Amino acid sequence: MIRIDNDAWEVMGSHARSTYPNECCGAMLGRSDGDDKIVTAAVPIENSFTGSQNARYEIRPEDLIAADKAARARGLDLIGIFHSHPDCDAYFSKTDLENSCPWYSFVVISVKNGEIDHANSFLPDPDQTRAEQEELQFPGSSALSARI
Amino acid sequence: MAKILIPTPLRQYTDKKDTVELGGATVGEVLSALTSEHPDLRRHLYTDEGKLRSFVNVYLNDEDIRYLNRDSTPVATNDTLTIVPSIAGGITDVSH
Repeated sequence: MIRIDNDAWEVMGSHARSTYPNECCGAMLGRSDGDDKIVTAAVPIENSFTGSQNARYEIRPEDLIAADKAARARGLDLIGIFHSHPDCDAYFSKTDLENSCPWYSFVVISVKNGEIDHANSFLPDPDQTRAEQEELQFPGSSALSARI
Repeated sequence: MAKILIPTPLRQYTDKKDTVELGGATVGEVLSALTSEHPDLRRHLYTDEGKLRSFVNVYLNDEDIRYLNRDSTPVATNDTLTIVPSIAGGITDVSH
């Protein structure tokens, strides 16, 4: 289970709305205890994909290193990655899977008509062949029913 | 000794250490020392064929070792190796 606290969700939602209709991306910082993760802070990261960003995102490793350093400086851990799907459901696409990493939770935020619609979290496998959905809790998540 | 920064999810294989210090003249030697000292790390970093997994990048200080001399890149005392994944994605099926 992954739970996103209010401050972190505000940052994630704001970043997803401000980059719409392009995809956004960022890092989630917090703490994990076994399979239970709590996201207490989020760091927006520039989408570095060089083509059309309304259907793709890419994170420069240098930016991820900076996010990891920011986490260490705050006594937190880098525990997940988020990105948005503009005008599309929050599923884990083939492209998401083939460019994923099994070390982190991947939260996908659906943004429809510029507003947050719903979100889901996924745990990809090391071979990038399948991703298991994990329980996701965020402020208002009961109102924004998760769906694929 | 070079310093190796361990990503959070892999610290369960390094006795919860976020940083490991190991000796070695090259990046390959330091990584080999890392997986020798923490053998459970190996399958998370390398394929069964012994190649770094496609999503695993290794940076020496601020530079990707692929743009240096890969495993043969010399490592000096006080250098920092960072293990960082490649991450990308996006919508591919707009029917969703």
